[in-house]
Formats: sequence, structure tokens, C-alpha cells
Amino acid sequence: MNEPTDREALLDLVAAYALGVLPGPEQGLVAALILADPAARREYHELRATANLVGLSAEEPVDSARAARMKERLMAAVRSDVAPRQVPVSAVRSSAMWGTALAAAAAVVFALVSVIQNFGLRSDLHESQQRVATLQARLDAGRRTVQRDRSMLADLAAGDAKRYTVAYGTVVTRGDHVYLALGSLPPLAPGKVYQAWTLAHGAKTVAPSVTFTPSQTGLTLVPIPDVAGGLAAVAVSVEPQGGSRQPTTKPAFVQPLS
Amino acid sequence: MKPEPAQHRLAPSGAPRRPLGYRGSEIERTNGYEVEDGARLMERVRARDVDAFERLYDGYHRLVFGIALRIAADATLAEDVTQSIFLTLWSAPEAFREGNFPAWLSRVTRNRTLDAVRSRANRPTEEIPVDLPAEVATDSEVFARIDAQRVRGALAALNDEQRTPIELGFFGGITHEEIARRTGIPLGTIKTRIRTGLRRMREALTEAVSR
Repeated sequence: MNEPTDREALLDLVAAYALGVLPGPEQGLVAALILADPAARREYHELRATANLVGLSAEEPVDSARAARMKERLMAAVRSDVAPRQVPVSAVRSSAMWGTALAAAAAVVFALVSVIQNFGLRSDLHESQQRVATLQARLDAGRRTVQRDRSMLADLAAGDAKRYTVAYGTVVTRGDHVYLALGSLPPLAPGKVYQAWTLAHGAKTVAPSVTFTPSQTGLTLVPIPDVAGGLAAVAVSVEPQGGSRQPTTKPAFVQPLS
Repeated sequence: MKPEPAQHRLAPSGAPRRPLGYRGSEIERTNGYEVEDGARLMERVRARDVDAFERLYDGYHRLVFGIALRIAADATLAEDVTQSIFLTLWSAPEAFREGNFPAWLSRVTRNRTLDAVRSRANRPTEEIPVDLPAEVATDSEVFARIDAQRVRGALAALNDEQRTPIELGFFGGITHEEIARRTGIPLGTIKTRIRTGLRRMREALTEAVSR
């Protein structure tokens, strides 16, 4: 893989991220690169500031009636927000009476409609409950993913994170967490994967950790499941699909963790 | 999940329109109306200054409405977005921290409108974007002097190959892959053109404000 070309390709991705056209899965990876690489960070800030200005080109005169209508509504909302909230006692009483009457009427109507529709609704209800449960499960999974991504990025961006420059990227540790933020990894031969290795304090041999393949963009963010404080070093090597018990190739890098 | 394309119009960027000036630290009178520095007004809005909020609306509703209209191609939705954004500026003024206010507002409007368009079409929004912390406003001083006319000039100075993906990306809210698909240009080329175009635009704007 030609390094300058890879570098340019990475910076092209940073530009796409700055414009806001990068799909979700790639955003985190480029964000990691930006956080780990000062040149990429500078490129991002410069292009982001420029991209934000593109919107100014769309500025249009607004017809006066529309502008006045919007302003009137907004200012009414804003003024009512700052005005002391004083409601006349009579108004409170009146609105309370009306409120009670309306609530009673609504309850009667609701009860009638409920009785009529009750039987027909039961089967629908069961189906709906199943759909809701499925959607809820998806939502929960999505939330967990977002939470994990946010947590990773918070770690990567944190001022107290330790960063070690290695071949192809950076090893980041913060608290108990260890990450490999790698870019420009050489492509793998068919049937091969990258595998991370960890060396525990006092251990004489490395232990196998996660396997991974670079994304299509060549950018990879790998959380290492071990606790950072217990590790003396991390390494990465190319291994057969499924991983190995011990490294079978020369590591791409070995990084001691202080 | 990929964002669905928002309906959008790509008006020629070089077309003459009513210019509006933004100045970082002064009031500028352009074509009959004044625009006060948004960052300063926001400081006053934080202190619940209704007058400052009114001035903010007077100065920036054209920008917000214009972006929303360009993206949504629907005046009613653009109006709703404009109202919603200004109400947010009032209720959560701390959302703007520092830097180039119109540029920030432009991005906020773009994102809010794209959300509204997708929501209206009952389409899921793009996954929550990963936003980088502390986007230091290194350009705020320089680019605070940029106005809409200069931005149009800088965009118009790009060739179509560079301008189209930038405008499609910003106003269309689509991914680079979708831009490549729509234009029939390889993805790698699109990414390079976006970067080259933004770089050229930046150079043009920097030069314009230094004159």
C-alpha cells in the first residue's frame, strides 16, 4: 500500500466528515483518527469551518408578511416566557370547573367506546404488544451501541488519556480502557485477520485478544477487553482466520504501556 | 443507516441575490437593514434580554429560513424550522458557546431541517452523529467577516465538479456514496473533489477577507 496515497485518502475522508456526508459507521472511525492525529485534526477544523459557511449562500429575503408572522409568534412566546406568571383567581376557578366537567365527559365517552371496541381490540393488542417488544429490543440495542460509541469517543478525546504512537496509528488508554485507533493498515490476504495480543504485568508470554479486519476505509477502532492497568504491553499481528493461540507472524507493532 | 435524500433545489450559486453582511465586531448596514454581531447578541440573550433576541431574529431569520427552504423546498416546513430554531436559541442559548455565529447557525439549521424532512417522510434519521468536542473557533475572527455574498462568490468560483458534491452534501443531506451514485462519479473521486473544493473555497474566502 502506497503511504502518501493512503494519507491523502484519509484526509479526503476527513473532508467528507467535515461536510457531514460520511455515513454513521464511518463517522466514529474518522473521529478517532481526527482525535489521534494532529494533522487530521487541523484539516478537520479548517474544512469544517469552511463547510459551515456553505449555508450562508442560501440566505434569502423572506416576504414581509411571513417574516412578520414568524416574528409575532416568536416574540409572543418569548415575552410570555419572561413575564411573571399571574393568573387571576376567577380564571383559575373557571378553568378548574371547565376542566372537571370536560374530564367527566371524556371519561364517559371513553368508557362507552372501550366497551364497544374491547373484543375487537384484544387480538390487535397482542400483535401490537409483540411489535412494540421487538421495536423496544431494537431501540435498546441501538441505545447500547450509541452509548458504547460515545463512551469510546469520550475516552479517546479525554485530556487525561494516554496516547502511544505506533505503526499505523495510536494506542490509547484511559482508566481501565485500552483502544487501538489504526489507519492505513495493510490489506489482508484472504483467510487472514489482524489479531491483538496483550502482555499482562509479570507474564512471560502474550495472551490472545480480539481479532479484527480493517474497514473498507482502512480505519479501525478496536476496544481491547482487558483492563488497562493489568497490561504491560499490547501488540498486533496478522493471523489465520479465527485467530491463533500464539503469534505466528512478526507483529506489526509491540507497544509497552506505562 | 444511510440518510434518505432530502428533496432539495440546487440554485446556481453565482446568481446575484440580496447580499447581507455579517461583521464580527460591528454593525453593518447592507441594503437597508442592519445585522448585529450574533455572538454578542447571544451573550445578551443568555441574560434573557428580549430586545437582543428580537435583534437576533431581525438579523438572522433570512439565513435560517433560506437554508431551511433550500433543503426542504417547502415554505411551511421552512417556517416551522425557523420558529423552532429561534425558540431554541431563546430557551437554550448556551448551545452556542463561541466562534462564528452565522456559521454555527447555518450548521444547526441544516441539521434541524434535515431531521424535519426525514421525520415528515417518516424516515429514520441518520445515526446520531459523533460530534467532536471543543471545536475550537480558530477561524472565528477571520471568518466572522464573511458574508453571504462572499460565500456565493467563493462557491461560484469553484468548477461544477467541485461545487456540486459540496452543495449536494450540505443541502441534500446525503452521504458521499449517494452523491457518487447520483452523479455517476466514482466514490473516491467525489471524496477528493469535496476536499479540493472546500480547500479552494477556504483559500478564496481567506483572500477575500484579507483584501
